[in-house]
Amino acid sequence: MGELRYILGGPQGGGLETTSEVLSWSFAKSGYGILSDREYFSNIKGRHSYVHATVSGAENPFHLSYPVDLVGAMDAETVFTHFQEIDRGGYLIYNKDEDNAKYGSILSMEPELKTRLNEFFKANGIGGTLGELSTYLSERRQINVVALSYSSLLRALQQEASVIAAQASRYVSSILIGSIASLVGLESSSLAFGLKKRFRSGEILKHNMIFSEIIARQLQAFSYKRPSLGKSSLSRGKMVVASGNDFVAMAKLMGGVRFQSYYPITPAADESFTLEKYEKVGGDRGSIVVFQTEDEIAAVTSAIGASLTGTRSASATSGPGFDLMTEGLGWAGINETPILVTYYQRGGPSTGQPTRGGQSDLLSSVFASHGEFPRIVLSSGDHSEAFWDTVDALNYAEMFQTPVIHLVDKFLANSIASIPLPDVSKIEVRRGNLVKNGGDGYQRFDFTSSISPRAFIGDERMWYTGDEHNENGHIDEDSENRIKMMTKRMDKMNLIEESIPEERRHALYGDKDPEIVLLGWGFVKGVAIKALEQLRNEGIKASYFHIRTFVPFPKKSVESIFEDVGPENVVDVECNYEGQAGILVRLNTGHELRKHVVKFTGRPIYLSELVEAIRRVLSGSSKEVLNLGA
Amino acid sequence: MEPRELTAANYRTDVWNDWCPGCGNFGIVAAMYQALAEMKTDPAETVVISGIGCSGKTAHFVNTTGVHTLHGRPLPFAQGIKLSNPSLNVLVNAGDGDLLGIGLGHFVALGRRNIDLVVMMHDNTVYALTKGQAAPTLHRGEKPKALNEPNIQDSVNPIALAVTSGYTFVARSYSSRINHLKETIKQAVRHKGSAFIDILQPCVTFDDIHTYDYYNKRVYELKTDDWNPTVNDENEAQEKIMQAIAKSFELDDKIPLGVFYENTLIPTFEERLGEKLPGYLDGPPSREEIERYGKTIVDGDKFGEIFSQFIVEY
Repeated sequence: MGELRYILGGPQGGGLETTSEVLSWSFAKSGYGILSDREYFSNIKGRHSYVHATVSGAENPFHLSYPVDLVGAMDAETVFTHFQEIDRGGYLIYNKDEDNAKYGSILSMEPELKTRLNEFFKANGIGGTLGELSTYLSERRQINVVALSYSSLLRALQQEASVIAAQASRYVSSILIGSIASLVGLESSSLAFGLKKRFRSGEILKHNMIFSEIIARQLQAFSYKRPSLGKSSLSRGKMVVASGNDFVAMAKLMGGVRFQSYYPITPAADESFTLEKYEKVGGDRGSIVVFQTEDEIAAVTSAIGASLTGTRSASATSGPGFDLMTEGLGWAGINETPILVTYYQRGGPSTGQPTRGGQSDLLSSVFASHGEFPRIVLSSGDHSEAFWDTVDALNYAEMFQTPVIHLVDKFLANSIASIPLPDVSKIEVRRGNLVKNGGDGYQRFDFTSSISPRAFIGDERMWYTGDEHNENGHIDEDSENRIKMMTKRMDKMNLIEESIPEERRHALYGDKDPEIVLLGWGFVKGVAIKALEQLRNEGIKASYFHIRTFVPFPKKSVESIFEDVGPENVVDVECNYEGQAGILVRLNTGHELRKHVVKFTGRPIYLSELVEAIRRVLSGSSKEVLNLGA
Repeated sequence: MEPRELTAANYRTDVWNDWCPGCGNFGIVAAMYQALAEMKTDPAETVVISGIGCSGKTAHFVNTTGVHTLHGRPLPFAQGIKLSNPSLNVLVNAGDGDLLGIGLGHFVALGRRNIDLVVMMHDNTVYALTKGQAAPTLHRGEKPKALNEPNIQDSVNPIALAVTSGYTFVARSYSSRINHLKETIKQAVRHKGSAFIDILQPCVTFDDIHTYDYYNKRVYELKTDDWNPTVNDENEAQEKIMQAIAKSFELDDKIPLGVFYENTLIPTFEERLGEKLPGYLDGPPSREEIERYGKTIVDGDKFGEIFSQFIVEY
């Protein structure tokens, strides 16, 4: 098989996140690459959430696809929601105690899904119970149904591990861990490693270990052919297995962030939480202040304040919070203050789809805040890029003394991925044009250079103001001064253009002589690169043009793509309605994208639907709107 | 800096002060210059932070570091500065619109933290720079001359709000009593924790109600023999808060000036941070080394050690 794709579903708050972590660490310990995405509602307990993963022995995967090989269900809603996503010959693990459950009576299920199920069940002549569906899947869809009695398993756990009955129900999610490990034949030492990483030691760890053995015994009763991942061909060594939020937090710490301010918002808050876990890392020699503010206005302005004192400072937020930050961003712009805002994109507008993903904040990040000031906008395509882009963003902010916005998709932020250990000796910390003591005549906005020597508050006396100002930082509305000061600031865009090379702004993957080029950004990267392989197998020569910086824009490279393959053969692939990167392509190059593949359901783009959409585009379609995923 | 004796005049910049002739703000900066000189404040280690409006310009008139921020946001700017370098002496000068209108959330949040800085509110009851609209300190029914009709919104009680928000030094002064204001500023600077001074300040152009004459007839100083605002024992805190609130509602015929509430028993935010972060007070964020020869100070081994939770060896 080489690749295992699974979905694990259950009620929000039921332990799925833990399940995703334990399995990710366990598979990685056995040498497999993993991508494990989490899809959930804005809800604490009860609504349907699921984990969608790709495990590979050949690569560190960054794509998800349908159909999947296995669905593991904590509850009946998961089976009703995902049964159509299981491949023929695939597996369903579910609780047969719930065989009498009917989808019509599941309160947490949205009415539109019930209507679709109604139609499906009617068309296929199936009654509405879980048991009937199970029979259908087994007999008519050749799915290997692993029907377990969760209550019997939990009773066995109570007896063998002396877990009290009231606590046994907490272990339902562990049934999925044990079942998958057993079905796939995951080494027991790897499973133990994953469990230990999560539960450290003590009772819960012990119970999980015993439970996995109980489940393995139970699964021996099923005579199905087991799915096999085969041996991993990945090279041995250390891997980092973490979510995108965690990768950004690690990079901020390594890159010298010592002040991070934030206001809680999904899907950004996890980053600040992680950073806070490491606040004492400096021991008695230093510290990281993670400051929870009263709103995002205070988050960005306190981070700017910290920056004025010479502290590398940052904030992390999402759409609604970023909107509040925009006035502060402009203040940082006119005051030439380094600041990094990590912008986690979720579905908008307004509250939109607060726990779902999207790429609809690109134009907002490029144009946010009134007036004109230099900025840099970066976007990351995978976990490794998120790490290194954070390092670069911190350097750019100080080198160019201006705000940097780093876009990260929710898909990336909340999915766990494995990547080889980054070579941290390559982490540069470039602080730009600093001056320790400028003396009595120090002028913060000295005209001698676009990047004036920067002293820190506390070392020197200086003035800052959001008004247009003179070299001293005092208000000045003289026309000539205005021209000089605006020019000095805006000239930094030229410097940025000169300093950040074209090859840093984009990456090109796939065929060197393509007939079709997919153009995308952010988390589209992984699935687009994977799609190239499939297209090649079908005889289609394709490449993927990945935009990594929007300001500065990879103008020359985009232009040469259009010249090489012609505008008819460039396909815009994005997770938004308007094709926002396409709009920026047109703005920067004059070229209009004529082919679009877009998705704005809040779910990531899946391999199968992307390949299908490209086939349609090749047969003449100019716009494909994707909608796969529960 | 060379240790040299600075006079009040040395704390004044040569930026031309464009407040209206007779503006109450002149008294505020005069008191600041004197207070800073008497406390021998180092201009490079002192930061005057302001918001928007007439009070916003204060940052440019004081010869220390000045940060002229956004409308309503001087407090979060100030907190970022102070928390990343707690040795700085931070004085916020902001209007009643800044602090109690657009920035009210920040005002309450600072009290909860008790960060060691001084908040001087220029209380003139109007939005002067936009030509005299009602500020949150203007009482209902009052009609300064720029208003078409009497104000139909109730006013905020700044002293009561500060006390209940958690400010640990709360006082009122008057721009025309420069000596009183100067001494109050010095007390506020010396106080460890968030200090708030409500400074009555006539807007001579747009407020024809709260004039010098109006305040001169009404203000009186709270005398220590019959007024004790200081919490000496934690059990007294509630009583002193209630006393301060009651006093803060004396506003009609007699307006008290002086310290309404003072509590030095509440830990500052910096102390709270120092408690959980052993390196914070000696090595605050702004003073920590983060690079060596252009590289990160954390090497690969240390990275593996710090982030072992995320590392898997195959």
